[in-house]
Amino acid sequence: MLNPLPPAKWDRAKAAHLLNRAAFGGTPAQIDAVQKSGLATAVRNLVDGPSQPVAAVPPPWAAPKDLQARRDSVQDIAALSADPGTRKQIEQQFRKDVRREEVGQIRDLGVWWLQRMRTSPDALQEKLTLFWHGHFATSVQKVRDAYYMWQQNATLRRYARGHFGALVKAISRDPAMVIWLDLRDSRDAHPNENFARELMELFTLGEGHYTERDVAAGARAFTGYRLNPRDQTFRYAAREADLGEKEIFGQKGNFAGDAVIDLILQKPECAKFLAKKLWEFFAYQDPEPEIIARLAEVIRLCDYEMRPVLMKVFSSEEFFSERAMRTQIKSPVQWLVQNARIFETDFPPPYVLFFAMRQLGQMLFNPPSVKGWDGGKAWISTSTLLARYNLAGLLVESAGPDLMIGIQKSVRDLGFDPMNDAAPSVRMPDAGPLDVAKIAPAALRAEPEKLVDALVLRLFQAPLVGRSRDAFLEYLRAKAQPANDEAVRGLLHLMMSTPQFQLC
Amino acid sequence: MDDHPSTDTPGTLQTRRAFLRTSMLGAAAAWTLPVFIDKTFFTLDALAADRAIQTPTGRDSTILVVLQLAGGNDGLNTVIPFADDAYRRARPTLGFAPDKVLKLNDQLGLNPALGPLHALYDEGHLGIVQGVGYPNPNRSHFRSTEIWQTASDANENRAYGWLGNYFDSCCQGADPTVGVAIGGTSPQAFASKTPTGVCFARPEQYRWVNYEKTNGKMGASEYFFRQLNQPEDVSADIASMFTGGAETTGGGSVEAIGGAVRDGGNPLDFLERTALDAQVSSDRVLAIARKTKPLVKYPGGRLSESLSLVGRMIAGGLPTRVYYVSLGGFDTHQNQLPAHERLMTELGAALGAFAADLKAQGNFERVMTMTFSEFGRRVEQNASGGTDHGAAAPMFVLGGRTKPGLHGKSPSLTQLFQGDLVHTVDFRSVYAGVLEEWLGVPSQPVLGRKFNPLALV
Repeated sequence: MLNPLPPAKWDRAKAAHLLNRAAFGGTPAQIDAVQKSGLATAVRNLVDGPSQPVAAVPPPWAAPKDLQARRDSVQDIAALSADPGTRKQIEQQFRKDVRREEVGQIRDLGVWWLQRMRTSPDALQEKLTLFWHGHFATSVQKVRDAYYMWQQNATLRRYARGHFGALVKAISRDPAMVIWLDLRDSRDAHPNENFARELMELFTLGEGHYTERDVAAGARAFTGYRLNPRDQTFRYAAREADLGEKEIFGQKGNFAGDAVIDLILQKPECAKFLAKKLWEFFAYQDPEPEIIARLAEVIRLCDYEMRPVLMKVFSSEEFFSERAMRTQIKSPVQWLVQNARIFETDFPPPYVLFFAMRQLGQMLFNPPSVKGWDGGKAWISTSTLLARYNLAGLLVESAGPDLMIGIQKSVRDLGFDPMNDAAPSVRMPDAGPLDVAKIAPAALRAEPEKLVDALVLRLFQAPLVGRSRDAFLEYLRAKAQPANDEAVRGLLHLMMSTPQFQLC
Repeated sequence: MDDHPSTDTPGTLQTRRAFLRTSMLGAAAAWTLPVFIDKTFFTLDALAADRAIQTPTGRDSTILVVLQLAGGNDGLNTVIPFADDAYRRARPTLGFAPDKVLKLNDQLGLNPALGPLHALYDEGHLGIVQGVGYPNPNRSHFRSTEIWQTASDANENRAYGWLGNYFDSCCQGADPTVGVAIGGTSPQAFASKTPTGVCFARPEQYRWVNYEKTNGKMGASEYFFRQLNQPEDVSADIASMFTGGAETTGGGSVEAIGGAVRDGGNPLDFLERTALDAQVSSDRVLAIARKTKPLVKYPGGRLSESLSLVGRMIAGGLPTRVYYVSLGGFDTHQNQLPAHERLMTELGAALGAFAADLKAQGNFERVMTMTFSEFGRRVEQNASGGTDHGAAAPMFVLGGRTKPGLHGKSPSLTQLFQGDLVHTVDFRSVYAGVLEEWLGVPSQPVLGRKFNPLALV
């Protein structure tokens, strides 16, 4: 079992740590409030979430498309024309429209979710949904339909803090997953191994804890999983399923898919596998085998119910250890959402966000493979680090009415065309994203020390000492006093262009 | 202090530190410097000049380009055993007829879309290593890729990549651009005890952009940015120069260098190291990108873009020993024919253009390009018109001094293991050949044990 953190050890740094990891960070005022509430209350509030369910507006296109009906009606219209050239033109135009719509929706999707992460009062739910998205990593590259991806996102959110087994079963019936790992092509005569293999290797047990024969038998159990194209839902086709006897993990039976998942959950390796993934996402990478064993025990005692598991993790001494605090390299999504949250500002325009996800190496709904994102040091290369520094400049630099023009120019300098790459639904905001006066009011600007320390507290959640603080101070002193908006923006950019800022 | 043997480590570190000083401040000197930095720069440079030792650079030594075909390339439809009845039986709809393939001999032919490679084969610049794999093949993309990237056994986990081991054991103190990966992320093959190597996709974006109005002088932003993005020990040395003090730490002092041995374990150390490498390399990459243009026209496609960038960096003399590029999309489980044809076309055309570019530069003799994929595919095609994960597959080795022709033995199509080809050449023999004969280093320390180097040159 994990050791509970003694109440006497609860302090502001730990409150900041809890918000960084179980949410997307907090403003200085939010950190103060969480510290004041005490560990037990803070963890309960996060894990239980708001008492009222969060009302979120789905994207306008989040509904079955029924393309066939639309195609039929277009063909009806085309049929009215006697000229075959005109008919062909109408049909071509239809196909072009559909394609453009899809591309626009796929772009909207990631931005829609980022907005939800930024604004949701239930930040842990979004954090967990992100965790599960990386765990059951599915890419729109193959699914090629934003509504299917949106459905999967909703499923992950619905089960985010529920029973792990129920989540795995729901995911096996999730249309995007059924497409992604070829379940829809798998039938009794020709079972496709793709889903069964990844289920064991990447979703539940990990490499080395199953045999090739388990995969082959498992593939036979996951047959008959089909989709209804018209309403874009899952359906089970018993006639195409293999209901014969199979041997899995040495047990014989007429197992179907859900029974295989139940067999998997009984294996101790499953709890261990989940324990490692959870700990790596929320605490730190390469945990000690002992920590994994102890968390796995918690998971088994909680019978795979995530809510009590999370409660134990976030209240544990181990979660607040020196190895955990301020040692996590922010994921690009964390970086983007936390920036908006700590600056108390809206996001930059969607095309900038979309561009940012691509540059930083984490495109939501588009993981590099079914293994998800490796995370940790893998986020950082010389290329992505410079991209973070430069995007920080886009978020905070430039001033006055030139701001948007400046950003657009910079985006173009970085090889992106805001006009061609903007989704049709994207509207340009009128004002710049960052209100400098709000986070650096005039009262703070009289003394460089006061200003630097206040901004450091906001950006790094803790005071900094030593040469970094000295460098920030010297930069500010090289500017006219008191610091104007341009100097403050320059200072913020400098603070974000440091190795330390990439950690949380 | 067993971790830091005092015999050779201090020298290497000094070299690296001296190198950092000159290159960082050297880059800064491109600006019109504030007077106080100007003075210090020359002091530093004079000090550094005594220290620098010659490290191998891309200007004069051999270069390796590693090309990853991600997803598991169908080796049987790349180098095709067209005369084998077993091939036609296993591939009733995916197989190529004898009159379609580009013949290498009366048994084997290249995929029809690989025309440019066929031409290079005919002119004696292409080697094909047949049946490459490893014992107990793993069919997971990730695990098998890891095995190839770390040169491990199938049942062994290694933290560092084979190229990373090469950087660690043979390129200590070298420029961070000794390894260059084209793209946003570093391949696992580059993972090393001392993080080495840089990556970028577009040179124009590979720099720190700030918005300070400076009239051509180095602004406060740029100045403090550079200071904030270098490890503490280097900046302490520089700071002591600024205050007029001499270097205070003696060259042999273990205390003074302790912090500089970065194994990349701690995330902050790793970030600081990467930040410094980014800064040092970006000035140079940008300068080369501005002055060099490809000498031949490359076709469209991402692989061509990557290889054309590699060509420019080689032409510009970036001191790189290993370039890493990749092409994805080879996981052809269903409807393989059109997808694989597109990939083969892109591969052939890009490599053809790259070879022509290097010839025009006069660098074809100095560059060896090696392809690999995490596995080949199942001999028998599947019910979806595709192929499932398999095992052994061929590798291409291309270059002006490459030993041309067929290497190793073509695997049997009838004596299979679980439906897959049994390898005849261990991939680590290929690596050993590349390391010993091309990069000119002993392979055993890099690969962890002795493999018979395949004769590739």
